Amino acid sequence: MDAQHGAPGARFVDPKALARIGSLELLARTVVDGFINGLHKAPYLGVSIDFAEHRMYMPGDDIRFIDWRVFARTDRFYVKTFEADTNANFSVLFDVSRSMSFTSGGVSKLDYGRYLAACLAYFSTKQRDRVGMVTFDDDIVTRVPPSAKHLEVVLHTLDRIEAGRPGSFARPLFKATEFFKRRGILLFISDFYDEPQTIVDALKPFRYGGNDVLVFHLLDPAEIDFPYDDATSFQDLETGRKLPVVPEKLREQYRQLVQEHVAALSKLCGENRIDYAMFNTSQPLDHALFKYLAMRHKLTRVR
Amino acid sequence: MGLLAPLFLLGLAAIAVPIVIHMIQRERKEVIEFPSLMFVRRIPFHSFRRQRIRHWLLLLLRCAALALLVLAFARPFVRSPALAAVTDGAREVVVLLDRSYSMGFSDHWERARDAARDVVNGLAPDDRATLIFFDSGAAAGPRSTTERASLLGLIRDAELSAGVTRYGPALKLAEGIFEGSELPRLEAVLISDFQRSGVDSAAGIRFPQGAVLTPVPIGSDVAADNVSVAGVLFQREYFSGRERVAVGARLTNRGAAAVEGIEVTLEMDGRPVETLTADLPANGSVTVDFAAVTLTDVRVTGAVRVQADTLPADDVFYFVISPGQVVRVLVVGNERATPEADLYLTRALGIGSAPAFDVRTTTLAAFEAADLADRQVVVLNDAGAPSGDAGRALADWVAAGGGLLVAAGERSAWPAGAPDLLPGAVGSPEDRAGRGGALGYVDYTHPVFEVFAAPRSGDVTTARFFRYRPIEAHAEAVTLARFDDGQPALVERRVGSGNVLLWGSSLDSFWNDLAKKPVYLPFVHRLTEYLADYSPPSPWFPAGQVLNLSQQEVALGTGGLAEAEYVVMSPSGRRMPVSAGARAGFIDLAEQGLYEVHDARAADPRPLTLAVNVDLAETDLTAVDPEELAATVTGRVGQGREASAPVREISAGDLERRQSVWWYLLVAAFLLLVGETVVSNRLSRTVLTAD
Repeated sequence: MDAQHGAPGARFVDPKALARIGSLELLARTVVDGFINGLHKAPYLGVSIDFAEHRMYMPGDDIRFIDWRVFARTDRFYVKTFEADTNANFSVLFDVSRSMSFTSGGVSKLDYGRYLAACLAYFSTKQRDRVGMVTFDDDIVTRVPPSAKHLEVVLHTLDRIEAGRPGSFARPLFKATEFFKRRGILLFISDFYDEPQTIVDALKPFRYGGNDVLVFHLLDPAEIDFPYDDATSFQDLETGRKLPVVPEKLREQYRQLVQEHVAALSKLCGENRIDYAMFNTSQPLDHALFKYLAMRHKLTRVR
Repeated sequence: MGLLAPLFLLGLAAIAVPIVIHMIQRERKEVIEFPSLMFVRRIPFHSFRRQRIRHWLLLLLRCAALALLVLAFARPFVRSPALAAVTDGAREVVVLLDRSYSMGFSDHWERARDAARDVVNGLAPDDRATLIFFDSGAAAGPRSTTERASLLGLIRDAELSAGVTRYGPALKLAEGIFEGSELPRLEAVLISDFQRSGVDSAAGIRFPQGAVLTPVPIGSDVAADNVSVAGVLFQREYFSGRERVAVGARLTNRGAAAVEGIEVTLEMDGRPVETLTADLPANGSVTVDFAAVTLTDVRVTGAVRVQADTLPADDVFYFVISPGQVVRVLVVGNERATPEADLYLTRALGIGSAPAFDVRTTTLAAFEAADLADRQVVVLNDAGAPSGDAGRALADWVAAGGGLLVAAGERSAWPAGAPDLLPGAVGSPEDRAGRGGALGYVDYTHPVFEVFAAPRSGDVTTARFFRYRPIEAHAEAVTLARFDDGQPALVERRVGSGNVLLWGSSLDSFWNDLAKKPVYLPFVHRLTEYLADYSPPSPWFPAGQVLNLSQQEVALGTGGLAEAEYVVMSPSGRRMPVSAGARAGFIDLAEQGLYEVHDARAADPRPLTLAVNVDLAETDLTAVDPEELAATVTGRVGQGREASAPVREISAGDLERRQSVWWYLLVAAFLLLVGETVVSNRLSRTVLTAD
């Protein structure tokens, strides 16, 4: 099926279904192209400002972009197309610590983040942004410098990443600040298991460097709802520490603590002009794309 | 209830395990990996000492499954007397249950069935049993079966018959079952009222060595007060050209006390006609005469009933009254003979009601073919041979089925041109000097003479013959009687479908004194009835008789089985087609009452009715000593339940092994565990979904 025109079927696709698509590029194209097709009716327009070329008017094009002077000369409708923000660097900072490999049955956070990163990298490439990527756990794991030609590399890197070691934020992110001397859009994908203040403190330098910082907080449904019933031992994926837990008795308090954590992160990010969004990995990827686009739109208007 | 391994019951303590598990929080052995326990660690530690039981259904399923498992390992068994008491080796048990109608006396039948049930219920698991119902015959249910339910079902459905008690067929059947059995112990249980009348048939029956016959007498201490209708008599008379029949009923009282004022009712065609009261002396009988009723030309059914008593089967007597049977006779005399020549003959034929004789007389000169039109028998009484057309007509009439009696007297010349009808050549008269001759040989097996066969039934040899004509019998003729000098006296010959009898002397008192002997009247009657091929219709049949319908063709008025399609309705309403199969035409008259024989092809829709009555010999409840009968059959004295093989207590192990209750418990436990799996899975899904 043609990805572009078969797009409606790909909208709001269950991540579990997407997980069966082996190629990340195909996956990204499936999601993003379908998503863009859907944008014709969506309010999120006008992210590009530089003229690129003329093309024939097609029904459905915004008549505001019809070049009337060309029309006066040729008696044909041409619309002006604009290049994207070609100066923008789009980089994904991907947490590949061991806790990201967790899944309660659906798609792991690592995979969900992988799909997100792939989709957004593809999406950015479509807008002529340069794409790069940094993966980190307790240290920097891989780095792909931003480049207009690095989509393949980014996708390849995304395809190969594995969650292995415990993670942290302060040390690797401090190192990563060295990589982003030039302004850009930085997207942090992580489960953010740390104190909100510690996390925001690690993100602040990026913000201060003039980058647009977006934070995608990925959580598995089990991490949000804690749907366990029988008393058992829980083992921390990163520290390996075991703890006897009676979930039935802890569930409510746990949920409350998670909500407080999310609320604190959101609040601190807001205070530091960092865009924060929490994603449930059981939700379709389109939600994430919508949120990203909404953030970008907001940034555009601010600029 | 016992347990083969009661120590396994200690395993019931394991029931505490699921209870504790349900009360405490279950901690899984497997460790759940979680991204981070940073939030869990912040929650203060709680201990949950007092917990309520969760998932009651699950707990009950688990406990029940565990309990059944433990119980199965404990090997339970049921120790009931019927199962535990087992003698050495399995038994071949034959239960002989008397269902003759005398068992209907008082509550004998119920008690007999109870006794049979007791025997069946007392069977050990490895015993095999056969149930035989008997009256005059015997019928066995499933042979050598271990299925008690089917035996009990047979006993429950059994009904009394109308037959009499005969032990012979039942014991013979039991003997055959014993001979074919491989089981070590052979036991017969005879449940009966042990009437003496049925014992004779048991002669010559001997059970195999070691077989035991246990009599179960169903007697009654109560004196058998029983009034029965022993039979009915018909007194026929003709009044104003109509036939009237007066029914007389003979009642017998077998009780030791006189019975007074008992009501006796005559029913005709199902409607009460007359009710009389009668007084019966103790152990006596009385005849009750009802008023005569006028008959039509069709058969009527009737019954005489007395008030029901302890044995209801013999309180009613059914019968069928046929319109009078008349044998039409033409006596041809000689015109030259004295008027007394026909006197004895016509007077003898003038007496009789069953059948009556319609006698017409003529002379040989006046005899013509038209005289034969409605006649069944022609008697040429010392008349000679008819000639011409009359002679030919007589020959044709005989060939078509008529009966001819020729009495060779003084004028009985049979010229050469006369029709060839005689069974032999008649010679000239011969005189016997002195006291005359007598009949020296008589064929008492022949229907003519069979009434004289029994002692004191009349002696035809007392008649003296002073003159007779010698007869030279033809080869195809049969000599039925001879004089004492060897000359044939009565010769028979079949001509076509008819019969010709040649009597060598006269039928008056001129040549002999037979006409003055008491045997003359039955002799003449039997001669005439035989020639007329007369058979008296039976007003009733005894129960148990097998009737050949083809012999009832005269009564049925059909062309026989080949042309009829009979369906017989028994008194109980059972339909019995009789025109098909190997036993076509035969009806087993097993029930008391009125059988109806319908011919589907007959134009006349009225059925032939047959009355069947019980044999009154069965009302004699005089009992024989049951042990005497048992000794006769087994050849040993003192047989009985006590003499049977010693009873041993079956071991608990054997009992448990035979019952194998553990197997059922294991299956039940397995089913419960399946249910537990389903329920627990459903509960798990419910929790996850809810969360």
